[in-house]
Amino acid sequence: MFTRQLTAMALLILGSTVAAETLTSADEIIAKADIASYYAGADGRSEVRMIISDAQGREQRRQFTVLRRDIDDAGDQQFLVVFSQPSDVRNTVFLVNKHIDKDDDRWLYLPGLDLVKRISAGDKRTSFVGAHYFYEDVSGRRPSDDEHELVETSDSFYILSHTPKDLGSVEFANYQTWIDRQTFLPMKIEYTNPAGDIYRRVEVFEVAEFDGHPTVTTSRVSDLLTGGKTDMQFRYIKYDVDIPDSVFTERSLRNPPRDWLKRPAE
Amino acid sequence: MNLRPLLLLLPLSALAQDDPWDDGAWEEDWGDEEQGMVWSGFAEAGLGTRFDTDELLDNRNTLEEVRWRIESDWQPGDVTVSLKADLGYDGIEEDWKAEIRDLTATFTIGESVDLKIGRQVQTWGTGDLVFLNDLFPKDYVSFFAGRDDEYLKAPGDAIRVTKFSQALNVDFVWTPVFEPDVYLTGERFSFYFPPADGNIAPTPPFSAPEPDKKFSNGEFALRLYRTIESTEYAFYAYRGFSKQPMFVPMNAFGASIRRPLGTGLANAETSFYDSRDGDDQLRFLLGYEWEARRNFTVGLQYYLERQDSADTRHMLTNRLTYRAGRDKHTWSLFTFYSPSDDDYYLRPTYSYRHSDQWSFTVGANLFGGNEQHTFFNQLADASNAYLRVRFHY
Repeated sequence: MFTRQLTAMALLILGSTVAAETLTSADEIIAKADIASYYAGADGRSEVRMIISDAQGREQRRQFTVLRRDIDDAGDQQFLVVFSQPSDVRNTVFLVNKHIDKDDDRWLYLPGLDLVKRISAGDKRTSFVGAHYFYEDVSGRRPSDDEHELVETSDSFYILSHTPKDLGSVEFANYQTWIDRQTFLPMKIEYTNPAGDIYRRVEVFEVAEFDGHPTVTTSRVSDLLTGGKTDMQFRYIKYDVDIPDSVFTERSLRNPPRDWLKRPAE
Repeated sequence: MNLRPLLLLLPLSALAQDDPWDDGAWEEDWGDEEQGMVWSGFAEAGLGTRFDTDELLDNRNTLEEVRWRIESDWQPGDVTVSLKADLGYDGIEEDWKAEIRDLTATFTIGESVDLKIGRQVQTWGTGDLVFLNDLFPKDYVSFFAGRDDEYLKAPGDAIRVTKFSQALNVDFVWTPVFEPDVYLTGERFSFYFPPADGNIAPTPPFSAPEPDKKFSNGEFALRLYRTIESTEYAFYAYRGFSKQPMFVPMNAFGASIRRPLGTGLANAETSFYDSRDGDDQLRFLLGYEWEARRNFTVGLQYYLERQDSADTRHMLTNRLTYRAGRDKHTWSLFTFYSPSDDDYYLRPTYSYRHSDQWSFTVGANLFGGNEQHTFFNQLADASNAYLRVRFHY
């Protein structure tokens, strides 16, 4: 907590200088991108919806609300995800304690059986609720999982190339990110497979500022091999709302925290 | 059956199909479920049939039904009221069916006490399709017939009080009128009857006398639980009756633990059934589940049941789950195998989620063994395959 306050103060004081400065360390850029993408504020809430399209243009939808609380910046986090659509997953709740130094703890509540199902630590590069997004895209890939290299610094972007330390654990050979120099949000990510083809692309279309934090509000992931894609939108975003620790417990699985899920006035 | 309730509900289902996402401009429309009531649910048709006939039963089918599920929840004041009800026709029982699976009011008292009152499905414990301290009612007839897994858990009328605190969470469930399992009656499946030394399918169906409906025959279930770091600890107690005929008065005490181990999850659970008739039982379970490959999960369990009046029963279970095509396809095989009884029960299923509306499930329930009286082998003639088609609205 103290560290975060200190960091916040430092950012306040140094903010303008930092933004103007041109960074040359890939690790420093990726650390800032990690904070900007996944650790904005001390906590936050957002509603999310996705349209999942296959190559034939058939669409599926998902809608859910995410509550997040950081234990430490760039460290452990808690997530509560409550589904509202479609009807077969309505009231399904997903609780994640994300850990940096060990596997995440994950629970899924299945209302039909009143079952709190614990999910074993799994491959994080598998579909998140049927979307083209992976679990790892949603909760963040650990910067320490890759070697980072600054390839180019353009007027708008830091362009980085990332190579996984453990090739066996992922489906890509490397990926490249275009990180906005002002906001440190990755605006485009392209994944290259071992054959050397770019087969997967994540793009950000819209960014808006909420409570002082530039935030992605519209993005898309495309599967370039099959032609499928998932569009994702975020709305009703709030940061630093003081969500208590107790919200991220089994209690919220059976009885979702209405006060925190209530849609705020925009 | 009186059809009027169905007609009353028709306008509501028409409302529910007015999908707020069908308006095209999805940037503008985020649904309004926060503001009011949402009606959802599904319509389902299911057909299941035996591989061989059961000579004791006229109908070869095990599943022959259509059902309509209605779900809703709304929030008057600080209370959440939820409803889940099934209406349908069951061709095996040749009758219309209406069942409320959930009709509850949930509210919070003070900061840390939640109350849930009404008809509800409840589950606790760490076993996968194996139950030790979970003495809430189960519907094995649905489970064997090929209905969705959800129907293994039967609803009961209960009051659930949960007190949350940093030190310990306490769950207390009072079921004022004893709610038994849905057991084998000879209507859909024949069952082993020791005096006959064989299976029977009596007409009218077998029905065991239940405890008198009085408060002193109510059920009390207690769970104390806490998660420390990544480890879940729980202690359980129960006062009531055995859930299967002949509903012998019993108390139960138990404990469980679940935590990550290696790349997977390990669990252990035990329970002691202190039975009024002196035929006490000890149950013990060890389990481990892990993702063996991407999208392929393996679960293993060892289960022991030691009873004063019977030989110790050992059972091994295995669950294999493979998901493909962004979870569109799910293949699953659950195996029960008892080395002591020398019998087995296999549950292969394949589910295809075609869209947010349509899903299809095919599966089978395969029973076998060596001796007619064993738990799974008594159902050998009930081995069946089934198909279910569901439309979600």
